[in-house]
Amino acid sequence: MPARKKSSAKRPKRAPKKAALRQPPVRRWWSWRFIGQLSLVLLVVAGVATAFLDAWVQKRFDSHQWQLPARVYARPVELYQGRQLSRDHLTRLLGLMRYRQDGRAAAPGSYALQSSRLLLHTRGFSDSDGGEPARLLSLELRDNRLQSVVDSRQPDKQIVARLEPVQIGSIHPRHHEDRVLVRLDDVPPLFIGMLLATEDRAFHEHHGISLRGLARAMMANLKAGRLQQGGSTLTQQLVKNFWLTRERTLARKLVEIPMALLLELHYSKEDILEAYLNEVYLGQNGARAIHGVGLAARFYFGRPLEELQPHQMAMLVGLLKGPSYYDPRRHTERALKRRDTVLFAAYEQGLLDGAAMAAARGRSLDVVPRGSAALYAFPAFVDLVRRQLARDYPEEVLSSEGLQIHSTLDVLSQYAAEAALARHLKNRDSLNGAVVVTAPHQGDVLALVGDRQARRAGFNRALDAVRPIGSLAKPAVVLAALESGRTLATRVVDGAVEVRMEDGQVWRPQNYDGESRGSMPLVDALAMSRNQAIARVGLDVGLASVLEALQRLGVQRDIPPYPSVMLGSLALSPFEVAVMYQTLATGGFRTPLRAITDILDKDGQPLGRYPVNPEQVVDEAEGFLMQWSLRQVVLRGTGQSALRQLPADMVVAGKTGTSDGNRDAWFAGFSGDRLAVVWLGADDNSETRVSGASGPLPIWTDLMAELSRRPLVLAPPAGVSMTWLDADGKRLSGKGCDGAREYPVRDAYRPRERSSCGTVDAMQQGVFKWFRGLFD
Amino acid sequence: MVSRIVRLTLVVAWLAACSSAPVVQAPVDVPAGDPLLGSPSESLWRQAVVAREQGELAAAGRLLERAVTLVPDSSWLYRELAELRLREDQPRAAEGLARKALRFAPPTGAYRAALWQLVATACARSDDPDCVALARREARVAQKGARQ
Repeated sequence: MPARKKSSAKRPKRAPKKAALRQPPVRRWWSWRFIGQLSLVLLVVAGVATAFLDAWVQKRFDSHQWQLPARVYARPVELYQGRQLSRDHLTRLLGLMRYRQDGRAAAPGSYALQSSRLLLHTRGFSDSDGGEPARLLSLELRDNRLQSVVDSRQPDKQIVARLEPVQIGSIHPRHHEDRVLVRLDDVPPLFIGMLLATEDRAFHEHHGISLRGLARAMMANLKAGRLQQGGSTLTQQLVKNFWLTRERTLARKLVEIPMALLLELHYSKEDILEAYLNEVYLGQNGARAIHGVGLAARFYFGRPLEELQPHQMAMLVGLLKGPSYYDPRRHTERALKRRDTVLFAAYEQGLLDGAAMAAARGRSLDVVPRGSAALYAFPAFVDLVRRQLARDYPEEVLSSEGLQIHSTLDVLSQYAAEAALARHLKNRDSLNGAVVVTAPHQGDVLALVGDRQARRAGFNRALDAVRPIGSLAKPAVVLAALESGRTLATRVVDGAVEVRMEDGQVWRPQNYDGESRGSMPLVDALAMSRNQAIARVGLDVGLASVLEALQRLGVQRDIPPYPSVMLGSLALSPFEVAVMYQTLATGGFRTPLRAITDILDKDGQPLGRYPVNPEQVVDEAEGFLMQWSLRQVVLRGTGQSALRQLPADMVVAGKTGTSDGNRDAWFAGFSGDRLAVVWLGADDNSETRVSGASGPLPIWTDLMAELSRRPLVLAPPAGVSMTWLDADGKRLSGKGCDGAREYPVRDAYRPRERSSCGTVDAMQQGVFKWFRGLFD
Repeated sequence: MVSRIVRLTLVVAWLAACSSAPVVQAPVDVPAGDPLLGSPSESLWRQAVVAREQGELAAAGRLLERAVTLVPDSSWLYRELAELRLREDQPRAAEGLARKALRFAPPTGAYRAALWQLVATACARSDDPDCVALARREARVAQKGARQ
């Protein structure tokens, strides 16, 4: 630096005048010719760029496919004469579906209560059976039962109608965009009017840009000294949302303007408006971005766009200016002001008269609280749906093609299961639990609870808590014994057992009470859950037969070939236990448990079905004998307490289970139309101090009392007869004879020998004598 | 002696009738006493019949399954589902459903015999000769019961 200063000091301060005069004239860097050439080049570049932009805009707009997540719906609620349904349950369902109570039920999504009569205007929906039209129903509701269900246009004819399925979940693309597509024809004209009145009054006049708007924005920006307003038309906003960033820069504006002009050149105002309505960003739900007015209506107001009232429409339109800034849940005052501004704009444009505006301004925001909707309310069940879907559909399809997944979830069953678990765990902080409820004959999973706090998404105990099942394994031993020719009356010994294992250890099972009760019928060993007796039977029959029976019942997991498996060292999840007991509940039909019935595409066309496909894996006779023996568990075994709470005519059957150290407590049981499995345990696997009978059984009983409508029918099938046998179970006997009991017995294993006591079957005797006469 | 001859003749005639008795595919209708009859799901079943006749098998299946939800112990509905699966060329599923229909069917009679015939048809389509033989035998037994 100092050197430079030095040299500059040596430079003459002033150049001689003559030398300056001799210098050639300075050549200008520009000339008219140069400007002409440059303009030509720029024109060509601009032409090429415009042509490129034009092709790009058209291609992208034409091929634009909305990323639509798959939506999961609960089972539609069936309404028919005779259905048990309390008024509380029905109104709770209607509340969940955001049905509006009004005097006449004039529009879909509304209802009117008139004493025992309920007018219900349903919303229509698509299904693989053709779906359901929107219609006005008249329901007669008395004594917790639907006495009548008729279409108001045909009041003489009873019908089976359905409420639309409520959405319980969605499967998003990775960028978490979510939307519900709307067609322009379905958008209320008032909403369109409010939108244009607020955002772009000259929409139908301009060609993509508004010079007046741009000038106004420019003035405002000059005043502010920075880019503050954009003066964008709806078309420009669409271009920005579709293809550009949200930054307010001059460069973006320079691209946005020609793109908006090109868009208007090729597409109708209707196309542009519809695209705008579906694309616009309207808020955030956690990681999920709310796009489009269709989803926003549901997100903020819990109902479809067509059902919004003027004050709600105005709020939605107001949000366009700043979904976060005007968030009606977080900034109520600000949102109210903004909404009223929109209402005033609508009034100015003649869309609302003064009275309508005043009425709308007098309304509250009417926003539904976050988390009150059914969406995401049942995380454990939706987790099951996701797992079943993942087997058959790639993730890209699920997250982008707008599939409609119709699931088997029964909302009322789910609520009942959640409430029963929460109620019984109220003062047991160390315990957690899981519940699975199914309709056994169809294999439908009706409810799934994976946590004592059912709304909490996390570890799904119903599917992932793989815990020892205790005595729930014993029916497999009894089944193997029956299939080997034993009867339920066969005497077994409840006494000490010792099995030396390959590693030298000795297995010595003990009974729950530490006692051995000696000889007893096989059915009592199951009903009283006698470990030693069952272990002996299992060892006699052979461990391989027991393991095979377990697999046939539906256990798909690898089963370790240890005798302790027979008493429940086998670990299964509550869902797997439900699969196993499903086979018992149906009398021997293995029916895959399904959480999904149908899959429709985004237009409601059927894509796939998960049909009911039972497979008979246990003979009808043994299937019945197993049901009968599990009934004895409830009648006089470890499940007796259920009888005290259930109605006398509700025949149920089931089995308690408790693992070593009371770490896991189970009850699995069924009626004629419901199967439920309840598990209780501590997450850290510590001792629980509850048994299958004291913990899960009361929960199960509560559930059955609320959910089950059909008792288990225990009529012996062909080839099985109810038979009186003596105390040893080896001879025919009669009612009233000492020690005699009645058992269902396969005809093939019916003893021929008679005890000295008991009635003689006169008819049998007669037939026998008749044939003997042939040869006498 | 005369009595013995008469009795032997009767027995032989009876056995002969049994051994030659063909399994007649009796015209099948909803068996009396099936819980479907008179229930709300009867209308769903009738809609399913219409859908099936129009070739809309998926819709028919969905309607029948809805009907089963309302009346899970209707033998007839499982039979209808079994017939549908046969038309959809799913013989294994049809067999399971026909057997399920048997689970709720009357213990003997033409209807039961027809269900066993349905099992036999499904098994034949699955190339399971043992199953076919068993089902035909059971059909004959049920048919005999129907005659008695």
